[in-house]
Amino acid sequence: MRNLLKLLYAYHFLILFILLEGLALFLIIENNHFQRSRMLEFSQGISGGLYKQVDNFKSYLALKETNQALANENTELRNKLASIRKIVKEKKDTLFDTVSRKTLAYFAAKVINNTVQKQFNYLTLNKGTNDGIKKDMAVITAQGIVGVVIGVSDNFSTVQSVLNRDFKVSVKFKKNNQNGSLTWNCLSPSICILNDILFHVKVHIGDTLVTTGYSTEDVNPAKHTPLVPSAFPEGITVGTVQEFDLKSGNSYTIKVKLANDFRQLNYVTLLEKLTKTEQQELEIKSEHD
Amino acid sequence: MIRYFSQHIGNFILLILLQVLILNNIQFSGYINPYLYVLFIILLPFETPKWLILVLGFMLGFSIDVFSNTIGMHTFATVLIAFLRPYILKFIAPREGYETGTRPNLKFFGFEWFFKYAIILVLIHHFALFFIEAFTFHQFFATLLRVILSTMFTLLLIVLSQYLTLKR
Repeated sequence: MRNLLKLLYAYHFLILFILLEGLALFLIIENNHFQRSRMLEFSQGISGGLYKQVDNFKSYLALKETNQALANENTELRNKLASIRKIVKEKKDTLFDTVSRKTLAYFAAKVINNTVQKQFNYLTLNKGTNDGIKKDMAVITAQGIVGVVIGVSDNFSTVQSVLNRDFKVSVKFKKNNQNGSLTWNCLSPSICILNDILFHVKVHIGDTLVTTGYSTEDVNPAKHTPLVPSAFPEGITVGTVQEFDLKSGNSYTIKVKLANDFRQLNYVTLLEKLTKTEQQELEIKSEHD
Repeated sequence: MIRYFSQHIGNFILLILLQVLILNNIQFSGYINPYLYVLFIILLPFETPKWLILVLGFMLGFSIDVFSNTIGMHTFATVLIAFLRPYILKFIAPREGYETGTRPNLKFFGFEWFFKYAIILVLIHHFALFFIEAFTFHQFFATLLRVILSTMFTLLLIVLSQYLTLKR
């Protein structure tokens, strides 16, 4: 003990220096959005390669379930296709040209790392800028929403999961379009909390919630950009109502069971809203007027 | 002694105010931001305990950070030069060492020594600061250019301020 104290005293200058610099670095990464995302990108580049190896093995074990899920999706798509064919046959002469008004672009990616137990959960995907992935793209699966891309390196991207304290998305009831904002309460990886639904709305257990595509306020208060169009297009499934109460006065607190099982994410789809900047520009312009 | 002490506290406050109220608003062509506040670390007396320089460096950097909304960045750079100062002083010491009663300024050691001393500290400080700000070595030379131009401007201000206080 005495020797330890002696040692501490002998190197007190160096130790104090390292402590203070460490504190400064911690403050930088904690408080500055830009440095934080750069740090994420950097660590991603290193950890991404490793996770990829681990995941190769894991996904081999999950092949059966993946196959099943794909088969289900195929069936569903075939059914939709069949019904569309029928409509097309009926209205062949008055068909609209939908290609030139394409508003969404799709990308497929694989989850190579994912956490659900922290307060700030992130996913890592095996696609990056080289594959056309950009920041702020929406991440979904056939079941429902997953998150939003917040950092991209050449070959990997980081996704802020719905299970993240900073995550916020505008959602509505599928049946009557009443909307509110969905956040995560950091407790269970399958439950989110929906606020802002007023007391006069009739809520039932099992009601389906979908995204609105509305703008939400930016979560980063340092950069005061008032409106950021939601990364999600309208109508992506979010989950179902599991429990609700009216304790807090005139609006409901609704527990939403998420449609996705975040512990078992494997393949995801990324969506790019091609008209997003246009929407943002218009909204900002209207706000200034 | 107390006069001496209060003079440095006065320096501390004056330099922070000068930095955040005036110099932070100066930005020529996006490259040049002078950071005169490092002068405080430069002018601390030789006898200051080393740990105290670190603590003062931390306080100085943090105060600047709070006012310029860059939490941590100035702190990092300032603590770094506070750490390196004793070694640099040793490195550029005159042959007979530093006499007691002298202070590290232009008046006691002349232009050449002071300029050498200041340029090393300012360059290290600005280098650390601008690279922490950019947080990448990606556009190394663009950042380096900013470091060099700002260093020149800061040095100019430091030398000017030395000549101004010398007269008194």
